[in-house]
Amino acid sequence: MLGYVITALGHIIEPLNILLMLGGLIGGIVIGALPGLTATMGVALMVPVTFAMDPISGLIMLGAIYAGAIYGGSNSACLIRTPGTPSSVATTFDGFPMCQAGKADEALQTALLASAFGGVVGTFFLLFMSEPLATFALKFGGPEVFWLCIFGLSSIAVMSRDNMLKGLLSGGLGLLISTIGIDPNSGVPRFIFGYYPLAQGIEIIPAMIGLFSFSQVMVLLGSNRQFIAEYSPSKGAFGRVLRKLVADCKINLLRSSTIGTIIGMLPGAGGEIASIIAYNEAKRWDKESARFGTGIIEGVAASESANNAVIGGSLIPMLTLGIPGSAVAAVILGALLAHGIQPGFKIFAETGDLAYTFIISQLAVNILMVPVGYLMAKVMAKILNIRLTLVAVAIVTLSFIGSYAISNSMLDVWVVVGFGVIAFFGGLVGLDTGAMALGIILGPMVEENLGKCVNLAKAEGSIWQVFLASPISILLILLTLLSILAPILLGLRKKCRKTPSCMETLS
Amino acid sequence: MRKSFARLLMIFVAGYMAFATVASAASYPDKPISMIISFTAGGSSDVQARIMQKYWNKLDTQPWVFVYKTGAGGAIGSGEIAHAKPNGYTIGGINVPHMVLQPLTQGAQFKIDDFSYICQVVNDPQVVAVRKDSPFKSVAEVFDYAKANPNKLKLGLVGPMSGHHLMYLETKAKYGLQACEVMYKGAADQNAALLGGEVDVIFGNVNDVMRSLEMLKILGVAAEKPSAFLPGVPTLREQGFDIVSDIRRGFVAPKGLDPATLAFLRQAFKKIALDPEYQAEMRKAGQPAEYLSGEEFEAYVRKQFEIDKALLVQFGLLKK
Repeated sequence: MLGYVITALGHIIEPLNILLMLGGLIGGIVIGALPGLTATMGVALMVPVTFAMDPISGLIMLGAIYAGAIYGGSNSACLIRTPGTPSSVATTFDGFPMCQAGKADEALQTALLASAFGGVVGTFFLLFMSEPLATFALKFGGPEVFWLCIFGLSSIAVMSRDNMLKGLLSGGLGLLISTIGIDPNSGVPRFIFGYYPLAQGIEIIPAMIGLFSFSQVMVLLGSNRQFIAEYSPSKGAFGRVLRKLVADCKINLLRSSTIGTIIGMLPGAGGEIASIIAYNEAKRWDKESARFGTGIIEGVAASESANNAVIGGSLIPMLTLGIPGSAVAAVILGALLAHGIQPGFKIFAETGDLAYTFIISQLAVNILMVPVGYLMAKVMAKILNIRLTLVAVAIVTLSFIGSYAISNSMLDVWVVVGFGVIAFFGGLVGLDTGAMALGIILGPMVEENLGKCVNLAKAEGSIWQVFLASPISILLILLTLLSILAPILLGLRKKCRKTPSCMETLS
Repeated sequence: MRKSFARLLMIFVAGYMAFATVASAASYPDKPISMIISFTAGGSSDVQARIMQKYWNKLDTQPWVFVYKTGAGGAIGSGEIAHAKPNGYTIGGINVPHMVLQPLTQGAQFKIDDFSYICQVVNDPQVVAVRKDSPFKSVAEVFDYAKANPNKLKLGLVGPMSGHHLMYLETKAKYGLQACEVMYKGAADQNAALLGGEVDVIFGNVNDVMRSLEMLKILGVAAEKPSAFLPGVPTLREQGFDIVSDIRRGFVAPKGLDPATLAFLRQAFKKIALDPEYQAEMRKAGQPAEYLSGEEFEAYVRKQFEIDKALLVQFGLLKK
């Protein structure tokens, strides 16, 4: 392997490849930052361009766009509370409050460093442990993914600090909305009310643009503010953030990146789920978990490192088994196949040059991301100095263009408007948009995998046998129960602390 | 004097308009053509169309502009093509049996009559695949096991309402196969499930199993002749099972296309499809190419419509 790594390093420093890495990063960050344009779209658009190139250079460029776009989503998440890509949903929870508190540059730099770290961790797993990890990923079948999604949904209970009931209702509403479209288990359209374009369901990206971005524009316009937030670039933000991450967030970053890599490996589960679960785990294990959501570095770090680690994770099964771990990995797989390269364990032997160069280029891209992202973040943050009305117009325009660009369908634009209105009025009564988005994302996955479990039960004889078959399922069930019970138990303990007699009984 | 001048003018205008129509028909195409792809960019349909695009560009004519209209398993895009203006500037890719099943079962906004058929380009047969270490050595063993243990054999299919599902229904109808069918959203999930042991056998496609070929054993291919991509794998017919089931891809335009325009398109696509360099690239990309002319493709689609409808009615999946 060392031989391949050294050859790979030789390829990386070729001028064309360096240019492609930088260009891919910059293009990817811009695409990721623009709401509505996603990593999948960016990579897919550039695939035909790679046909004219050497496959190694082509892959390097696609990988750079992927990494840049997943990081780029954090920029708009922090600055205008719109996840630029679905993977940055959880970044809005703490990133935007930080921005509103005048700490925009710290938020952006945290996202940058966390993303780079997550990307590097994911790539290390890809480099050293792809075979065992790929085999492990295969063990996640219908029941396991079902419980993972239930675990993800249970995190709604942790997320909604103030009112768990409203959070659960919002999540439930999201689940209900996700049922619009074609039933995954019988192929029959549901809730389309005779309007056939609804058969494609409510696309998650327009829904999120509506829920987060469009509604936020309405809130901001109604608030009579001049600017989105007070912003004065403070010197030394980068250094402060770096020191804080190194001092306090080591475990957080490692844990979030590992969660990101593992979830990235599962076909079907992607950045959105990884970042939300990582965020909730960071919140659960933090001593002062109430701070989460008010705008702290730990929250942004958890979400961003997880979603970049997903990249490395999704490439593991893609390269070793030809089974993509995410939509972007699927597009890259298509590019590989079009170049005539076969994925499989032997990709590290027969086309080892290509495989290792690609992996090493991911490492290089994540390191290059820091200076490139640093400069771009400084530019992006200037948005906060533009008058709110202009920014609002720009956001709305981009939202419409971006959501239309997804499938060239006007329905998506109406979804943006509709969900924006729902979130605006809902926000006034306590609707939790994060929980709702989670419901919309996880609903289809839960249903599909439940369908698989029911189908499998015909062979096993009983559905309980299917649900409780593997150790992974049982572990996830326990985690879910813990996730639901923990807030209740901690609440009881807190109440108990106030009464001396209770304390004596406990100790 | 004025009357005859007016008459002359009218004749001149009429003549000019007739000339212009003829001229524009003769100069088709004189602006770029929209190519509607009903599946996501980077997928098999897209890759195949991109390969064709390379050879279309060599024909020194107007370029294709790719338009991705995804959703509802390709039905949204097919609906787009069906409702587009039949002026030859909107064409698109189409899949069978998707285009047959979607109007029947989903209430899709198109019918198979709504298209002018240009040609077929891909014939991707279904295969019966198991893991390399599986105890099954032939299709007969799989079917016998299923007969001896009804509903115990775990069979992975992409579906419901897909080529795989139809193959399963056909096998059930003809050979009484009674298995526990598990539906997957896509080939990636289906293959992962087989490799991970969630299911024992899958009805997959040549194009999909190619990605993990070294970890699978292909027991049979549901085609009329063995596949060039799977040397040594017998067809199901050779093993005594009369099942031919495949997924076809082709190109269509909306119905009502000017015959000259349709002829132009059919000629151009035929030229590309028969180009040996194109065929070599398709092989390299793992796409099983098979050319059928527009008329043959249309006849095939209509035949499939009758067969598939009958199967669905037989199993109560469709009200008569």
